[in-house]
Amino acid sequence: MAVVKPEMKSYIWLQTADGSIQQVEEEVAMFCPMICREVLQTGMGSSKNYAISLPQRVNPAILGLILDYCRFHQVPGRSNKERKTFDEKFIRLDTKKLCELTSAADSLQLRPLVDLTSRALARMIEGKTPEEIRETFHLPDDLTEEEKLEPLRNMTDDPRIRLLNRLYARKRKELKEREKLKNVEVEEEQHVDERSVDDLLSFINGADEGKLETYLTSYIYCAELLYFLHEPDCPTSSCLNGDTGNVPSPSKPSELQDSAYVKFSPKLDFDDGDIDDELDPAMKEEIDREVEDFARRLNSVWPERMQEILSLGQERRPVSLSVNGNGSLKRYTGLDGR
Amino acid sequence: MDSDSGRDLISDLPQSIIESILIKVPLLDAVRTSILSRKWRYKWATITQLVFNDTCLTPCHDKSSISCNLVNFITRCLFLHDGPIHKFELNTSYSPTSPDLDQWLLFLSRKDIKELIIDIGEDDWFRAPSCVFFCPKLTHLVLVRCELNPPPNFKGFLCLKHLSLQQVIIPPHDIEVLISSCPLLESLTLSYFDSLELTIRAPNLKYLNLEGEFKDIRLENTPHLVGISVAMYMTDDIAEHFEQSSGCNFDKFLGGVPCLERLIGHIYFTKYLSIGNEQGSFPVMYQNLKFIELYQVSFEDMKELLVVLRLIVSSPNLEELQISSSSITTTTDIYDLDFWERDWPADCTFSKLKIVHMTDFSGLPHEIAFIKFLLGHSPVLEQMIVAPTIYVMDKVVKMLIDLLTFRRASPLATVKFVQEPL
Repeated sequence: MAVVKPEMKSYIWLQTADGSIQQVEEEVAMFCPMICREVLQTGMGSSKNYAISLPQRVNPAILGLILDYCRFHQVPGRSNKERKTFDEKFIRLDTKKLCELTSAADSLQLRPLVDLTSRALARMIEGKTPEEIRETFHLPDDLTEEEKLEPLRNMTDDPRIRLLNRLYARKRKELKEREKLKNVEVEEEQHVDERSVDDLLSFINGADEGKLETYLTSYIYCAELLYFLHEPDCPTSSCLNGDTGNVPSPSKPSELQDSAYVKFSPKLDFDDGDIDDELDPAMKEEIDREVEDFARRLNSVWPERMQEILSLGQERRPVSLSVNGNGSLKRYTGLDGR
Repeated sequence: MDSDSGRDLISDLPQSIIESILIKVPLLDAVRTSILSRKWRYKWATITQLVFNDTCLTPCHDKSSISCNLVNFITRCLFLHDGPIHKFELNTSYSPTSPDLDQWLLFLSRKDIKELIIDIGEDDWFRAPSCVFFCPKLTHLVLVRCELNPPPNFKGFLCLKHLSLQQVIIPPHDIEVLISSCPLLESLTLSYFDSLELTIRAPNLKYLNLEGEFKDIRLENTPHLVGISVAMYMTDDIAEHFEQSSGCNFDKFLGGVPCLERLIGHIYFTKYLSIGNEQGSFPVMYQNLKFIELYQVSFEDMKELLVVLRLIVSSPNLEELQISSSSITTTTDIYDLDFWERDWPADCTFSKLKIVHMTDFSGLPHEIAFIKFLLGHSPVLEQMIVAPTIYVMDKVVKMLIDLLTFRRASPLATVKFVQEPL
């Protein structure tokens, strides 16, 4: 260790992954546990030739930020209030820098800074819709519709989700059977359903088995509806006791999306036995693709579609459904509270 | 790092950072991240801390649905979770039924649980299943409103450092065994226990927090205690016990805590200590005791006053003293004011005492004498703050005049008379 004369400060030499080397005041650099350990264990850092190699995640710009942080906090006499004020100003960075900073602080084992930046990133996640979060962090929206539902399927005991799973499972079964009977290719007709949602659901159990697209359409409606339901700022409600739905004002698309949903009676006896059919993976892929396709198409015409559908079904009575063990849908008139 | 603004900023960060972020959002939001993108699908499922509270509830109209939804949410969460769970906290005003709670606890006992906090609604007190006693890595246990019955083959929590039991029903003998079978225990909190006679043997204990109706508290093997806070409530049963007990409570309680730094006593604590206390030499000195806070001290009871004096005289490094007076003035006896000059050596000084705070001051003769005593024997005193109780507001001026005439050993001492309620 260098002898510290009153007029001479001691410096540590640091090298970032891009090769550039800089010298930093000793007490500032030693505030980072990783650097501290390197100095004490290997004796490196005392001169330019023996600069300490910093982890790859620390680039020069971020290193500058980290050293600012260290320079402030390593001074022992500061009050808690001062430190807090500094921290609050310090993390006012764009998201990209914040993520890089978290990563770099983690690789230098600077725990207090990791906590500070994690808290800032957590604030960007808490209470935001998935779209907002994807936007903030540039995340790709690469889950299929079915996959988006899966976590929800497992997360709630919502009978609507179970109904959906059941529809989907039955659909797959039917497809399988049809595949066996004839080697027919499923047509991708852009047939968008005109009926009200009520009718759709009763139709599902109806005699018309041949129309894949109609099934999928209704499935997509349900899927989209339920997906929107579980956004944080939707009036998510497992209100299963006969409230009438909100009438969406036809003015803005987002409002329509938010407030349109179907309510079911809680009295649904489902037989969950056939949910996990074994399907040929190729079949599964095909179904996934179709589901995605429809979803995409529906997304583009969704607001107008919803408006039409809801104006078609003038009355807003809740739909009460029950499914027997053998799968036929029955409609209840009354609702029993759970 | 390239500067492509469209590139995913966060998904490739190490899981430890993702966890660090996800545990700072409510659990419901953390679970919702599973629909963000393919990479995020199961990122939440490996977080090691699960905190369930009322932020996990979806609004609903009837109470039983909410309760049901919460139970389902917890069950599904646990089922989907992957990997160890180090912290599980359940804090809700709803009461999950016993079978659910038992299953969750069984599941957690297999997942290396380290911190377990259960604080559920007031309807029913749950009975802790035996699997709770066989969580070998438990370091932190907080239980509220439950029944604990340690099974006969329970060998103790060998890693437990922090134990907090509030309104817990447990056989008295078992609680002593529980405490002494946790060799690493550092912090113990027992709240709202009834009529307990307690002996504490905890060689590593640092912080003790007791509140309830205690008949007897004995600290038998607690050499490392640093902070004690006790609130003792009184019942007729206990009052009777006090009268009949023998032995010096002060010695039983404070006899073996030489490292004590902070002592806080509420309600009948000083009364409890006064029983059996003989005026005499003080065998134990508390070299580290810097803060003493005693509430509801009765300045009419000479024995309680002796306890206070014994404490402060045995603490040569005392810096801050806070005393609140019990505002019941019952007797009109003649006060033995000569006691102060006769029985206390004139050369006793409180060489480090800086701040004294007297609240609920009623102007009783011994209170005034006590303040005079402190002022005269504290050479570095900086502040003497006196806050009178509201019942004596008319006599405030006279008291003020009296106080200001007392000799002060410290040139820096200021006497503040605070009139607003604290």
